[in-house]
Amino acid sequence: MITLSHYLVLSAILFCIGLVGILRRKNLLMLFFATEMLLNAVNIGFAAISKYYMDLTGQLFAFFIIAIAASEVAVGLGLLIIWYKRVGSIDLDTMQSMHG
Amino acid sequence: MSHILSVLVFFPALAGLLGFIVKKESIRAYGITVAAIEFVLSLWLWFSFDGSNGGFQFIELIPLIPNFGVNYYLGVDGISLFIVILSTFITLIGLISLTIENNLKNLIVSILFLEMTMVGVFVSLDAVLFYIFWELSLVPMLYIIGYWGSELRIYASIKFFLYTFTGSLIMLVGMLYLAYSYYLATGTISFAITDWHRLILPYDIQIWLFVAFFIGLAIKVPMFPFHTWLPYAHGQAPTIGSVILAAVLLKMGTYGFVRLSLPIFPDASVAAILPVAILSLIMIIYTAMVAYAQEDIKQVIAYSSISHMGVIVLGTFAMNVEGIAGSIFLMISHGIVSGALFMLVGNIYDRRHTKLIKEFGGLASVMPKYATIFGIMLMASVGLPLTIGFVGEFLSLLGFYKVSPTITLLAGTSIILGAVYMLRVYKESFFGPLTNEKNRKLSDLNAKELTSLVPLVLVVIWLGVYPKPVLEPIDTSVKNLVQLMEKKAITKEAKELLSSNREELEAK
Amino acid sequence: MEKYLYLALFSPLVGSLFAAIFGAQPKKLITGIVASALLFVSLFSSLYLLGYVTSTGNSIHVKLFDWISVGGLNIPFGFVVDQVSVIMMVTVTTVSALVHVYSIGYMKYDEGFNRFFSYLSAFVFSMMILVMSDNFAGLFIGWEGVGLCSWLLVGFWYKKPDVTRDINPSISPSWAANEAFIMNRIADLGMLIGIFLIYWNTGSLQYNVVFKDVSALNIGLVSLIGIFLFIGAMGKSAQFPLHTWLADAMEGPTPVSALIHAATMVTAGVYLVIRANPIYSSIPDVGLLIATIGAFVAVFAASMALVNQDLKRIIAYSTLSQLGYMFVAAGLGAYWIALFHLMTHAFFKALLFLGAGNVMHAMDDELNIFKMGGLAKTMKWTAIMMIIASLALAGIYPFAGFFSKDKILEVAFDSEHYLLWFMLWLGAGMTAFYSFRLVMLVFFGEERYKKYGFHPHEAYWYMLLAMLPLAILAIISGFFEESFEHFVTMLLPEYHFHVHGITVVALIGITTLIALSGIGLAVYKYSRGGFSEKWKDTFVYKLLINQYYIPIIYEKFFSKPYAELSRIAWKELDLRVVDATVDFIANVIYKTGFKGRVVQSGNLSKMLKWMVIGLITLLVLAIVYSPVR
Repeated sequence: MITLSHYLVLSAILFCIGLVGILRRKNLLMLFFATEMLLNAVNIGFAAISKYYMDLTGQLFAFFIIAIAASEVAVGLGLLIIWYKRVGSIDLDTMQSMHG
Repeated sequence: MSHILSVLVFFPALAGLLGFIVKKESIRAYGITVAAIEFVLSLWLWFSFDGSNGGFQFIELIPLIPNFGVNYYLGVDGISLFIVILSTFITLIGLISLTIENNLKNLIVSILFLEMTMVGVFVSLDAVLFYIFWELSLVPMLYIIGYWGSELRIYASIKFFLYTFTGSLIMLVGMLYLAYSYYLATGTISFAITDWHRLILPYDIQIWLFVAFFIGLAIKVPMFPFHTWLPYAHGQAPTIGSVILAAVLLKMGTYGFVRLSLPIFPDASVAAILPVAILSLIMIIYTAMVAYAQEDIKQVIAYSSISHMGVIVLGTFAMNVEGIAGSIFLMISHGIVSGALFMLVGNIYDRRHTKLIKEFGGLASVMPKYATIFGIMLMASVGLPLTIGFVGEFLSLLGFYKVSPTITLLAGTSIILGAVYMLRVYKESFFGPLTNEKNRKLSDLNAKELTSLVPLVLVVIWLGVYPKPVLEPIDTSVKNLVQLMEKKAITKEAKELLSSNREELEAK
Repeated sequence: MEKYLYLALFSPLVGSLFAAIFGAQPKKLITGIVASALLFVSLFSSLYLLGYVTSTGNSIHVKLFDWISVGGLNIPFGFVVDQVSVIMMVTVTTVSALVHVYSIGYMKYDEGFNRFFSYLSAFVFSMMILVMSDNFAGLFIGWEGVGLCSWLLVGFWYKKPDVTRDINPSISPSWAANEAFIMNRIADLGMLIGIFLIYWNTGSLQYNVVFKDVSALNIGLVSLIGIFLFIGAMGKSAQFPLHTWLADAMEGPTPVSALIHAATMVTAGVYLVIRANPIYSSIPDVGLLIATIGAFVAVFAASMALVNQDLKRIIAYSTLSQLGYMFVAAGLGAYWIALFHLMTHAFFKALLFLGAGNVMHAMDDELNIFKMGGLAKTMKWTAIMMIIASLALAGIYPFAGFFSKDKILEVAFDSEHYLLWFMLWLGAGMTAFYSFRLVMLVFFGEERYKKYGFHPHEAYWYMLLAMLPLAILAIISGFFEESFEHFVTMLLPEYHFHVHGITVVALIGITTLIALSGIGLAVYKYSRGGFSEKWKDTFVYKLLINQYYIPIIYEKFFSKPYAELSRIAWKELDLRVVDATVDFIANVIYKTGFKGRVVQSGNLSKMLKWMVIGLITLLVLAIVYSPVR
């Protein structure tokens, strides 16, 4: 039997993988992927809990997040391409113009 | 003219804004005209002021944020009246004596703006309003020192700003807590100072609040050991900046003691007499010594200001009518005298571009008028009877003698040490043979300088011989203040001290 | 009557202001004449008032307007003309008026002629306030006012440079002026404290109220008041240890020395004690202290006058010594005798100084009496008048000093303070000696001035004429003793003598004897060329000529350390400690920011790391502190 816990554990594992990705990756594109994983980990959680409580609000939020993630990727990738065309690199360590 | 106070506060600032469109050539005349109108208005305030009424007059009250008890609340009593007139008078005199040509328009607009904040502080009866004007006064001063000052101006102006700003932030916290305490006690929140005057606070809260206010006010005064910003500010500021700083801005601190500390926290004030008196004593003696060691005339006067402010604080904390009234009178007299002295130093600086004592000597033979006026101001500064300086100093010390004879005896050395450093400066720069060739061709005071200085001389002698018109309203209001304190007092010491003063007063 | 009171009081002020108008201009004779004329107006008004008070026995009390009125304190500009103040008024205006006339000649070629008269008349005005005031605050106004005028007049020749003590013991006029002012300020603090004590214990500063209430106060308190007021008096009257300024004040023009530093201002201290007699009568112990200090100063100052070579300084020390005599009388409760000596002394000492002024004029401002000699030939009238003054000072019958000084000695003997009497007696001998040493060296003997190329001449006729009334008064004023006593004891307590008859005659005899022998010794020695040079190498001589090294001690132990301490306070304490602390706090904040700014590396992945760390920390905290477990 697959209970709520299984879903939550899956969500947590996915979240951790995403987090590690955010921390370790230096490529901006990979960072986007990792962010997507974080968002989807949360989505799994929302959907599972929504089913558990029989409350549609959770699934509603999941849809919202999918929409936001999509638009974010759209804008983000656009910016990323422009950046790549200008600088020729999307390595994070090269972006330090806000150095204090 | 029921809104005379609002007019007094905002007229200079609005006129100052208009100053931006005035032609460059006529800005001086414009500035002087505005200041003169303002001065006449303040004189009108005096003439329509009822001297026998010790309470607040010309009250204006418009609610601003009713839910938080913040009001546009103005009023004036005998204590603040003359400091307001002093502010407008010194601004006028300062503008007349102005010799700076560089970016004159901005300077005059800044000074007019500063005038608004000064008058605002002294007529505000709402703590929020008081605080706003209090802080706003820093801005034009920062600009004046930082733009028109001498070499170290940036350092001096930032030090001045940050130091006093830090102090006032602590005071702001105190004010907020005080409003909260008022809410706890009465159920409504209020920032009106007159409401706070009626509030009786528990002793331990009083102590904390007193300390918070004290830090803010003491830095402004400035009291030892918070005084070190002042020599820098004076040393670097242009003449007009020093004049206004010494004559009026410092008085905000001591005025705050009289208006806020004493009536709101009577018990804490009584408990603080000894520590405050010791600080004042250090101020008086120590800075008088430091003044003696100075090599720069302006610094001597800057340190002498601190020393005199010590006497003012001492008089304030005498807690009796003689002492408090004396200290308020001393605020006015010190404003006039130190303003005049700074202006005199400015005159010689304009001619020689130096303020070092060793550069001078024998000036009395080339500049007799200058030497005479300097001499008169010197004598007023050392507190010679029949000059303005004596009345306040005498009353302050007389008042404090009741509290502590020993401290008064030590503080009284100010009349000796004051003479020591002032006479040294006078002897070194004015007496002796003319040694420096550069001084031989110096011209005596010109018409413009005389117009700015002679009124000050006249005031010095007039109020020295006949201080009654000023002392009477002060006396009435101070009597009210002392009564209020006695009514509010809760600790035994405070009650005893204040009621013994009243009994003595009634006996006479 | 009030009209005359105001006339007496304000005429000098008008004269001063009139002269001040021309202050910066070259000499105008009119200022001197107007100022002197107004002084005569003041003199005649005072005399008129004297006549009024004598004939009616009433005193005049007026109130001009309130000066300070705060809380329980009320100080009016009130003036009183009673037996004591009218005597002071007459004395002050007499000497002042004559000195004014004299100064027209003395200051004839001085560029500060107008300024001088302005100051001099202002001084008289302050002095009149001092003596006429009906309260302690008014007295203090005059007290400080005369101090100011003394500062202005001592430093009158302010252009002179500072020199070392070996060349001029007073260093420079401006230095001496500052010294006088500051010394007086020290004493004034004492006086202020006395005034505060009076106010807080009696609630008023009016003489009549205070003197009425003072008997009700406890004796310790009254003693304290008496001591503090006397400290004030010590400064003005240059009593030990605040005496050094008086000799240095001789840097001022000679008429100033005659008026201020001999006849009037320096006696203000004595006047204070006399005026406050109800206080001092009730505290005889403090009175004895005053008398002791007075007797000490009488001998101490006279001893310094014995060897000095400076014409004016000798007379200044003599003034100091005579002030000591007055304090003995006042301290022992013989107030009227103190006042009497004050008056006679004012006449003959002013005369002596004006004579010295003539000599200085003749000798181009030379002051060393060893460069003079034989001047009697060219300056007959000056010589005669100075001899009269010296005889009066020495206390020889029938000159004025005999009557007043002998009375003081009698009082000392009568009150059984034999030591005091002995000191005063010794002082009388010294006084006679140094006065005639001066006379001998200046007017008789070898004409040493020829060696130095001086061409002495007699003073102008009107200067001599101005001295004449003083000379007459120096001779005759002693004979008014009885009427004077009768007059002033209407206000002052009488002094009852216990010794009578033969003892008194014997005392007078002994005193006259030592005075005569002092004169004799001086005449004998200095007509034969004076003491030998070896005398100058002795310790005693060096001690005396260096004023007991007191000015040097003051400089070493007070002025120098004060200057050094001030420098330390500024450079070490204020800049290095107080200000450095402030800057240190500011620096700590600034540096923390500087160090902390590396956190803002601008690197996105580092920022994300920090974000994660923050998130985890918050989560942990949320779990640990969560209210629901």
